[in-house]
Amino acid sequence: MIDNISYKKPLLETPFHSKTSELCYSNEWYRWGGYKIVKEYTQTELEYTAMRNTAGVLDITPMYKYSVKGKDAKNFINKLITRDVNNISSNQIVYGLWCNENGFVVDDGTIFCFDNENFRICCAEKNLIWFEDSAIGFDVNIEDITKSIGALAFQGPLSCKILKLLEAKNIENLQPFYFDNFIINKQEVMISRTGFSGDLGYEIWCNPSQAHDVYDALFSFNNDYKVLPCGMNSLEMVRIEAGFIQPNADFIPSEQALRPNRMKTPLELGMSWIVNLEKDFFTGKAALLKQKSTGVESKLVGLDIEGDKPAHGAILYNESKKDIGIVTGAMWSPTLKANIAIGYVNKDYMKIGSKVYAEIYHPEELEYRKIWAECKVVKKQFFNNPRKNATPAFV
Amino acid sequence: MSNYDSIIIGGGHNGLVCASYLSKNKKKVLLIEQKEILGGLAKYSDFTTSFSKKIIKDLNLQNYGLKIIEKNEDIIAMNLTGEHTVLNIKNNRISFQSTEADKKDQESFLKLLNKYKLFANSLSGFMYEAPPRIKSGLKKDLFKLIKMGWNIRKLGKKNTREFMRIIGLNIADEVEDNLNNDILKGLISHEAVLGSNLGPRSPGSVLHLMYKQAIQSGNLFTNTKIETTNLINSLEKLLKEKNVEILLNTKVKNLEIKNNKVSKVILENGKELFAETIISNLDPKSTFFNLIGAQKLETDQIRRANNYRQKGNVANAVITLENEPIIKRYKGNILNSTFIFSPSIKFLEHAFNDSKYNRNSKNPSMKFNIIKKEGKFFIRINIQYIPFSLEKKEIIERENIIKDIANQLKQFFEKLDIKEINLNTPNDIQEDIGTYGGHWHHGEFEIDQVFFLRPFYGFTQYNGSIKNLYMCGAGTHPGGGINGINGHNTAKKIIEDQK
Repeated sequence: MIDNISYKKPLLETPFHSKTSELCYSNEWYRWGGYKIVKEYTQTELEYTAMRNTAGVLDITPMYKYSVKGKDAKNFINKLITRDVNNISSNQIVYGLWCNENGFVVDDGTIFCFDNENFRICCAEKNLIWFEDSAIGFDVNIEDITKSIGALAFQGPLSCKILKLLEAKNIENLQPFYFDNFIINKQEVMISRTGFSGDLGYEIWCNPSQAHDVYDALFSFNNDYKVLPCGMNSLEMVRIEAGFIQPNADFIPSEQALRPNRMKTPLELGMSWIVNLEKDFFTGKAALLKQKSTGVESKLVGLDIEGDKPAHGAILYNESKKDIGIVTGAMWSPTLKANIAIGYVNKDYMKIGSKVYAEIYHPEELEYRKIWAECKVVKKQFFNNPRKNATPAFV
Repeated sequence: MSNYDSIIIGGGHNGLVCASYLSKNKKKVLLIEQKEILGGLAKYSDFTTSFSKKIIKDLNLQNYGLKIIEKNEDIIAMNLTGEHTVLNIKNNRISFQSTEADKKDQESFLKLLNKYKLFANSLSGFMYEAPPRIKSGLKKDLFKLIKMGWNIRKLGKKNTREFMRIIGLNIADEVEDNLNNDILKGLISHEAVLGSNLGPRSPGSVLHLMYKQAIQSGNLFTNTKIETTNLINSLEKLLKEKNVEILLNTKVKNLEIKNNKVSKVILENGKELFAETIISNLDPKSTFFNLIGAQKLETDQIRRANNYRQKGNVANAVITLENEPIIKRYKGNILNSTFIFSPSIKFLEHAFNDSKYNRNSKNPSMKFNIIKKEGKFFIRINIQYIPFSLEKKEIIERENIIKDIANQLKQFFEKLDIKEINLNTPNDIQEDIGTYGGHWHHGEFEIDQVFFLRPFYGFTQYNGSIKNLYMCGAGTHPGGGINGINGHNTAKKIIEDQK
């Protein structure tokens, strides 16, 4: 414990650190949950290309992992998240989010079901206090197990092929949002078909002592298939293309927000598809029912922007130059050859096909070029390849 | 499908008052009590000095056998040296009978009591209605808020300023500014912290004093009192006449909540009861965690209910005596006197120190009356601080408390033959009545738990997010003591809501 809080080593190192730091040519680090992980190894675009064309390996150990065990585990999850997990089966995963009583999103994450009395929740932000307070009255025990599990995301069209070459038995038949145990490089690890790239991909969960063997194995066929380690910058690119939301970028977790009007509900995030208002009870249900009947004031949408200059942090306007929204994430998408962004627009412009304008400030060698670009409101999910959900997976 | 208009869970005095008002408005009411007798926590005191005169008048309680006792009374602030300070109350006016304090101190003491009375009266205007909602945007609420401000401003510029200065203060600073005599300082401090989880140097103890006074019509010491058994009996008689059904010896298991609406009451014997409104006379924590159940509460509600401060700190004991006791150096009528032992602020603060660390006070402060019933003498005594503890206390500790009380009492008596001591610690009270923490007032009177914040955000006007569920216990505005105002206010709110 003393080691962890020592002033000499303020940020923790993941079990993969000795490997990743060796590969990290740029020495650029990112802070996440008290750990340091690589922001960029060599070049973000190169890493992005690996994830979209071969496969990329990301260290996601800092992701918070909570084990939920006990007789009432399923009932607790049902009260916590907006989705109904009554019909969940063993080895299944659901993506869900949880709200406070006003319907504002606390955080989102994936929920792994081992059996009816044993679940695991993985999320980007600290949630232990929220979970423990929610669990009062339930017979469950919640524990932060972040440190005891090393996690790697292995994303890309060749990810299944490489795992198969590593003799992970029957991996191609693992359905999306399911997990199972596999043996790779003589190590038994848990692999789930999940990820943050919107493409075929897996997440590998292992014991910290297995970390080096597992990490090395993923690069063992690099003579034929160029697998690259990827940093957080490239992950940001693929997640925007996939239209996934990110706490502290697209929404402020309601437990962290200082200003009451900055929090967002799932309906405003365009996530109404995972809100089950038929369900008997969950925290925030009454507020969300009310919002559903009154309608939302603004909504997170995808934007297809003209030109090729990314609209980072741009303000959105309507035709009469009244501001109607803001961009929360933007990029030039090399795969789609399009200038895309996700952002909030107010209720008059949230219909697909609406026309809005972005004011882009593009820096060009000590001078800003001010660009007035027309944008079309589209679905958030820009990149949607059929191989993402195909079973058996592409080998 | 409802058999009743209202079901009241808990037969404490507030439940009885609420039932009386509802039945007066031609509602069909069922009252459920888990014990074999009504009254709840009221059984831990023999007299109430704070029962609302308005309610007595409204309900014509005197026709049902209620007797108001008005006798001259002594308050004895006891001193280990034997030089007790004796205050006499006649027609709610206080005078010194004997004291060590000098003339100047006596005058400032009486002036101080008058000041507190003045301030308490400016607060007492809001006791008989639901507190306003700050952000409702309704004219009614805005008007109430303005009225509240105006009531304080009406005191005049100088007094308003003084009120604002002391309201957040601790009582020790306040009395030290005004008095020299330790006994008098100790006496006021004791009254300011009695029944709370505060020490004399805790901020908010002045507010606690003001608030308590505001509820009991302004006077800190009064000689108007009502016997609690008499009060409960007359309320029961009234209810029987109004055909209110009373189920004794019946425990409620829980409430069934569907779609944020309470749908039925489930009894422990499996029977289900239906009503349009369900009123809980239990304390907020028990209502939320036992009746509704945490599983049916949103996380934020759980947090608020969980953080609600409701830890009792006063033990109550009945001491049975062999024969008539004699108090050292006191010549008055012992049966008409209240004895308070809190000789200085320092003494009280030291007593509080133990409770901070969840230990029983070695030298607790005491307040007791001597009662004669059927020829036998009893001492009814309140001992502060004996904190509520989540861990089960061992028997040895109980015996230590009993030994300490006996030893401390003996210092003041020439003759005291104790036959038996029946001790009720806050833990015992919780076990007996069910009130969480054994707290007198169903929760502290502190700045974040009074007025429109009582008991907590989301349930501040006798009802909250769960439809048709009301609370009428002391955990609601205005709060504890045997005054019945909560029951009155809840009934008023229910009738208003149904209009």
